Amino acid sequence: MNRNRRNFLKAGAAAGAFSLVGFPHIWSKNASLAFAQDGEIKVGVLFSLTGTTAIIEESLNKATLMAIEEINADGGINDLKITAVVEDPASDPATFAEKARKLVLSDRCVSVFGSYTSASRKAVLPVFEKQENLFWYPTLYEGRECSKNVIYTGAVPNQQQDDFIPWLVEKFGKRWYLIGSNYIYPKEENNYCKKLLEGLGAEVIAEEYVPLGHSEFSSVINKFRSEKPNVIFSTVVGDSVVALHRQYRAAGLDPATMPMASLTTSENEVAAMGGDAAAGHFTSAPYFMVFDSPENQRFVDAYRSRWGGDKVTHFVSESAYFQIHLFRQAVAKLTAGDIGPLAIREAVKGEEYKAPQGLVKVEPENLHCWLRPKIGQCKADGQFEILTQSADWLEPNPYSAYPNQKCTAEGLKEV
Amino acid sequence: MSGKISRQILLYGIVCLAILAVPLLVDNAFLLNKYARYLIFGMLAIALSLSWGYAGILNLGQAMTFGLGSYCMAMFLKLKTVPIHTGSDGLPDFMVWNNVTELPWIWVPFQSMPFALLAGMLVPALFAALLGWFMFGGRVAGVYAAIITLAAMVVVNLIIIDQQSYTGGFNGITDLAQFDILGLAFDAYSASTYYLVAVCLTVTLFVALVVSRSKTGLILQAVRDQEERVRFFGYDVALYKTFIFALSAAIAGLAGMLYTIVMEFASPTFLGVPLSLSIVIWVAVGGRQSLLGAMLGAMLVTGVQGALSETEAFLETWTLVMGGLFVLIVLFMPKGLAGAVEALLRRIPGGERKGDARPAARQGSKSQPHLGGAL
Repeated sequence: MNRNRRNFLKAGAAAGAFSLVGFPHIWSKNASLAFAQDGEIKVGVLFSLTGTTAIIEESLNKATLMAIEEINADGGINDLKITAVVEDPASDPATFAEKARKLVLSDRCVSVFGSYTSASRKAVLPVFEKQENLFWYPTLYEGRECSKNVIYTGAVPNQQQDDFIPWLVEKFGKRWYLIGSNYIYPKEENNYCKKLLEGLGAEVIAEEYVPLGHSEFSSVINKFRSEKPNVIFSTVVGDSVVALHRQYRAAGLDPATMPMASLTTSENEVAAMGGDAAAGHFTSAPYFMVFDSPENQRFVDAYRSRWGGDKVTHFVSESAYFQIHLFRQAVAKLTAGDIGPLAIREAVKGEEYKAPQGLVKVEPENLHCWLRPKIGQCKADGQFEILTQSADWLEPNPYSAYPNQKCTAEGLKEV
Repeated sequence: MSGKISRQILLYGIVCLAILAVPLLVDNAFLLNKYARYLIFGMLAIALSLSWGYAGILNLGQAMTFGLGSYCMAMFLKLKTVPIHTGSDGLPDFMVWNNVTELPWIWVPFQSMPFALLAGMLVPALFAALLGWFMFGGRVAGVYAAIITLAAMVVVNLIIIDQQSYTGGFNGITDLAQFDILGLAFDAYSASTYYLVAVCLTVTLFVALVVSRSKTGLILQAVRDQEERVRFFGYDVALYKTFIFALSAAIAGLAGMLYTIVMEFASPTFLGVPLSLSIVIWVAVGGRQSLLGAMLGAMLVTGVQGALSETEAFLETWTLVMGGLFVLIVLFMPKGLAGAVEALLRRIPGGERKGDARPAARQGSKSQPHLGGAL
């Protein structure tokens, strides 16, 4: 009897607590229309802090917050402090969409920085396009997108491959094995790679896709052994990349004669698989942690003193960092009353910034960035050795595999 | 008995009216969109309550039917868009990327709205009927049935991710047109979309109520409690179970269609294991033997989840906090919040429950304990 009553009290208390937190904003109305208010300017930060992609996205969150702190410590933008509204989309596309809506509609952020996977970017895109807001996306991706509401600061296929593929053909040979995870990113990268290889007279001896999250590569490795390709072009992502590298090494294959070439294996992935498994393989990216520039020295030092001496920076976190500074420069060009997502988009067009990777620029036509690709070879200590870098910055062309299409400021054009 | 039923109808009606009145109080695009999403989860919970609470079929793959409905709507809306990201001739953008040259046959009928709307409910229902016919005809029950439902969902999920030239794969179907019907436009952020969802929820709730109160509903509850005995009486148990399983799937399919309208995309995560298990949790929290309880449970849990994850203090621990709350509820309220509230009401002397004191009514409720109280 007594016990039961206690249960009911608990139940009642729990139910009461639920109803209190469940609908806290029921009376709230839309905020007033100015974006810069009370000496602050609100931006959204949307990287998963929990769930399957949390490990990599947390590093993007940290780089973003660090850049915002730097700018605020420096007096903000024209005396406006940046206020970061951080949300956790939990690696789930639907939650991404929900949180993006909150940031855009409820918090009235003037821009949102976030997301790692293409799936999550696709999930938030309708929000930004319909509400005419601005999304800043730091990740390398497959291209073929021409949104007027996204600033893309990661690399597209032509930027990572134009130097990389000819270099590998010359150095290792013309028999190529393409292996990727089964979704749109690897397929698009391979479409462009095959185009380049054809021009170089090289041969694709196999093109194979494994399911996302695949971790059993013994049959693939047997094929490596029997086919003896000169280069294995790997667009395997996520946990699979760790499995592939470890099993490649365990099988006793030699990176000196049959290297894996990747566009996604950064310091972050190498830390997960161990330097031994990654040593000898190649990656093309606009940024490596060891890159020697005063800006990068400052970036790495600041990142480690802010977040821990064992942390690594990589080419996506570098983009997450420098895109905040591009944002700062764009906002600084505007008067407080004019600040808004579309005004920032117009202001950031053609904007240049001395990033850790070198000088970058936002291409006014397609809102992607001019970047400085480099080729790195991984070493056993988990860092890369930069072997070459492009002489100049490289133009972004999100439709590089499709010469009859071009992304312009007015939208996609058939040429 | 009849007093109890009319009280139940009254209570259900009041809740539905309250839900329909929300746009009068809330004039905020974000909140309307968010609440519409919670209402859809409420529909999903009703669907599971029907099969789990009333017929004892624990469907761990409820999200499969939800996802199928969602994809049906997404296919229809996709075909209505001008593919801005490819500029190509009427083919969905992801098909162009996968070198598909003409519209696959499975997509062709989705150019018609009536077909798409029907398919959104009938495809999941047929899937479920087929699966149910296999399972229940073969007398698979209990935990084995639960495993089959889960496995079936994973299979469909993998097929959708793998067949990316027809389904959009991992990224799902994105960049959709706005849904409009009979000149009414349903912008995801508008009150009209909220009303659309709320009306569907109300209809669903009352349909489910009617079914649960019907002879079929009673037989299903008997099946849940004593399957062999019901079979011995000559009822075709498999048929009844298949029926409720398919009805539950149709409701989930409808919820899925609405979800695509509200979220503006469809994704393979809509038929993923995490969502599917969440539905079970919502229903367990709300009370699986109460349609209203399950529905409110879903809205409450997702509401708390949203609020917690938006609270800075819980930013990195909100999933943990939610987990803890579920454990507490399951431990201390095995019949969920609905069971707890009912027990609480029974404790209050006099008041609303006076009618129940009549011996006849008391006897009635004793012989049919699972009809429960007004909830």
